[in-house]
Amino acid sequence: MASSNNIRTFLFPSLNRKYLIRLVFLGVGCYLVFGHLLIPLRIHGQSMDPTYRDGSFALCWRLQYLFSSPQRSDIVTVRFSGRRVMLLKRIVALPGDTVEFRQGVLYINGTATEEPYVRNRSSWNLAPRIVEPGHVYVVGDNRGTVMTRHRFGQISVARIVGGVIP
Amino acid sequence: MNKKLLFLLLTLLVGAAVVFFLLPSDEKKIRRNLNLLAEYSSSTSGEAAIGELQKAAMAGKLCSDPCRVHIESFAITHDFNKKELRDNLILMKKMLPHTTFKFHDTVVELTGNDRAEIVTTLSLSGKIADDRVTDAYELNVIATKTEGDWYFSAFTVVEFMEQ
Repeated sequence: MASSNNIRTFLFPSLNRKYLIRLVFLGVGCYLVFGHLLIPLRIHGQSMDPTYRDGSFALCWRLQYLFSSPQRSDIVTVRFSGRRVMLLKRIVALPGDTVEFRQGVLYINGTATEEPYVRNRSSWNLAPRIVEPGHVYVVGDNRGTVMTRHRFGQISVARIVGGVIP
Repeated sequence: MNKKLLFLLLTLLVGAAVVFFLLPSDEKKIRRNLNLLAEYSSSTSGEAAIGELQKAAMAGKLCSDPCRVHIESFAITHDFNKKELRDNLILMKKMLPHTTFKFHDTVVELTGNDRAEIVTTLSLSGKIADDRVTDAYELNVIATKTEGDWYFSAFTVVEFMEQ
């Protein structure tokens, strides 16, 4: 009897001042957390396939790089003019690194890199280039597409919005 | 007394909000034109050819004559007149027959009485054959005011990713 009362109170609480204050706090809390700290992402496109498939969901953790700098193989969100539409990419090279593709294999500083997350590989070829200071080199995990149709390259660190969970 | 004051304050707040949302402003006009441009550029499946022509012409009317388009990665810098704009839009609609265009994260800055600079993200999503297509571009847009109406006079694609 007591438990059914509890359930009823939980589902249909009385609209008193305490409840309204709780509701306001909950609303503000949700806005702060999901609007600014842990931004929900809906994945569109196959650029990060198979790590993140088209139509899947993830969260962007904005405080990821508050006390640390981006590292190789981190997955990051890259902003355009704001945070409504972002790119999801993997960091493959850091400032000063030399990046190169030979027959689809990624070479960092002249050494072939093992990338267990890449399942589809086309024969991409890209001449060596050095990542500028304050920049990182990002590529999607889906290398099965033609190189010219895949968006990748050097971006400013300031463009990174945060890391991705999970 | 307190309740009366609270009621008065609430009424003033609601009134101010209503005035803010209903009063027309240059920024609102520019945002409305941008949304119209996206709507007219989008293609729906089974759209009649005459409808496509009309929408392309209406999109062209939102732009000045000439209108500059600059896309560095495609080596395009060209001043399009209204006819060229319309023809290119029709061509684009033929190439992307089921595509929706939308502008997001738009910031409008009025840099003079008759000039505004806009930073926005254009997203497109649709289908080519059975393949789903999604893409996005950051754009810098210039809008100019002529005889009370705002027209888009330049579009520049921001290239922030360098291979």
